[in-house]
Amino acid sequence: MKRRHRTEILAQSPTKLLRELSEQVENHHAVKVLEEPNSGLVMVKMRETAMKSKFYLGEVLVTECKVLLGDTLGLGILRGSHKKRAYYLAVIDAAFNAVIEESQELAERIKEEGVRIQTALGRERQQILKTKVDFETLDEEVKA
Amino acid sequence: MAYVAVKGGQEAIGESLKRLEYERLKKGRTIETRAIESGLQGLIDQVMSEASLYDEALAALAIKQAQGNPEEVVFLLRAFRSTLPRKYYSRTVESHEMALTRRISASFKDIPGGQILGASPDYSHRLIDFDLKREEADPFIPKRWLKAYLKEIEENEVWETPLKYPKVMDYLRREGLMATYEADETEPEDVTKEALKFPSKRSQRLQILTRGQTGAVTALGYASLRGYGSVHPTVGELRVGELPITIDPPFSEETGEEEAYYIGSIRVTEVESIIPRAVKTPSGDYEEELDLGYGICYGQNETKAIAMSILDRCLEEPGEAPTHDEEFVLYHVDSVEATGFISHLKLPHYVTFQSKLDSVRKTKKGGETQ
Repeated sequence: MKRRHRTEILAQSPTKLLRELSEQVENHHAVKVLEEPNSGLVMVKMRETAMKSKFYLGEVLVTECKVLLGDTLGLGILRGSHKKRAYYLAVIDAAFNAVIEESQELAERIKEEGVRIQTALGRERQQILKTKVDFETLDEEVKA
Repeated sequence: MAYVAVKGGQEAIGESLKRLEYERLKKGRTIETRAIESGLQGLIDQVMSEASLYDEALAALAIKQAQGNPEEVVFLLRAFRSTLPRKYYSRTVESHEMALTRRISASFKDIPGGQILGASPDYSHRLIDFDLKREEADPFIPKRWLKAYLKEIEENEVWETPLKYPKVMDYLRREGLMATYEADETEPEDVTKEALKFPSKRSQRLQILTRGQTGAVTALGYASLRGYGSVHPTVGELRVGELPITIDPPFSEETGEEEAYYIGSIRVTEVESIIPRAVKTPSGDYEEELDLGYGICYGQNETKAIAMSILDRCLEEPGEAPTHDEEFVLYHVDSVEATGFISHLKLPHYVTFQSKLDSVRKTKKGGETQ
């Protein structure tokens, strides 16, 4: 499971799940906090579509945490002020970076959560699509 | 000497701050930041955009503190931002990655994917809804509505494909009706790090416009439409949706999309305006060509994004009107700079004004004796 996919699911997961996954790692491995969860900024770089040049859209508030699992670094970073979530994310990231015994099980649970999120998003999308204008109906109404 | 007067005001200032707090509390009710977050999205979007800092919870707190005064809110957010380290720069966000919640075109009826109205006050009657008072007396009214709507969502089929569509303008480009550009990989300038110099770079112009004060950007865009500029656009495409933000791993050699950290998404409004322009051909004739103006801002703020797209185009081409003058536009649209400079007029100018008075008196006296 690649990091982009994994972190996107985790960022949308409830804190309870993050805590459980993090505890699953901590129960069997010593985790050392390298950098306590703290606030900072990420500057968003964007490509505009008129001339395809890059510019800075603005900054986003983030919380970041770094941990060590053995010699392996784990980074937890997410938008907003969420100290606990940043810590859990860092522990989970370290688990994947170090490739420990539990990694496979973690991946399975994250995958499951991903399916749940996609289902919810899919239903929401359908609801948004109900606001799509049906021009054929509109034309008929005009003709009538 | 001016400082003597200020020092004497210390107690008065203390009491003045107490009055300010009293004004906030005197009606016996305070507003919860969570209530601001759920009920004042429009204001939150506006101040996040003008502050150039995306965080709804922080914006809500600043709104509470500033009692809803947008210029004060933006000042608070900018000041807070300056205390934080900038940890990372995001990977370049491409707008076709936007998960759409609204997307319309004023130029074409049939666009691939269709016109998705999403949430907008555009189609409402804009009559004050006095029924809203009822939900204050009966909190179950909104709860019931929400429950029913969520049930409707829950019963939907799952629409698998993300709502990510190609840009409408790409079709015009393929037809050769619009100039095409290669991706420009030049790293952008940052107006928060280096002072603006003229002539400005495109990246500086876009950054200043997107963080510009909503009213100022709108007013100048409107002025251009009314004739103080030569740009009259048609909205090719207006999108509201979520942009994913990712960063490269800071501690490893691995780069690339798949190894990036996803940090969350941000809601933005993005506009591409089509602007016709007469171009002289080698034979000396004039030919109509289509150009694009680009506008984007944090949150859902469609008027600002459209106005920005007008000003973007104005600043790309020479013109006599003030909206084509980059110094005029870029130096005057920032909320903190504009309100700060105007507000400074309230500060004590006792000494300078006294000397001005003296010189007026002297001239008057001199005039009388002559």
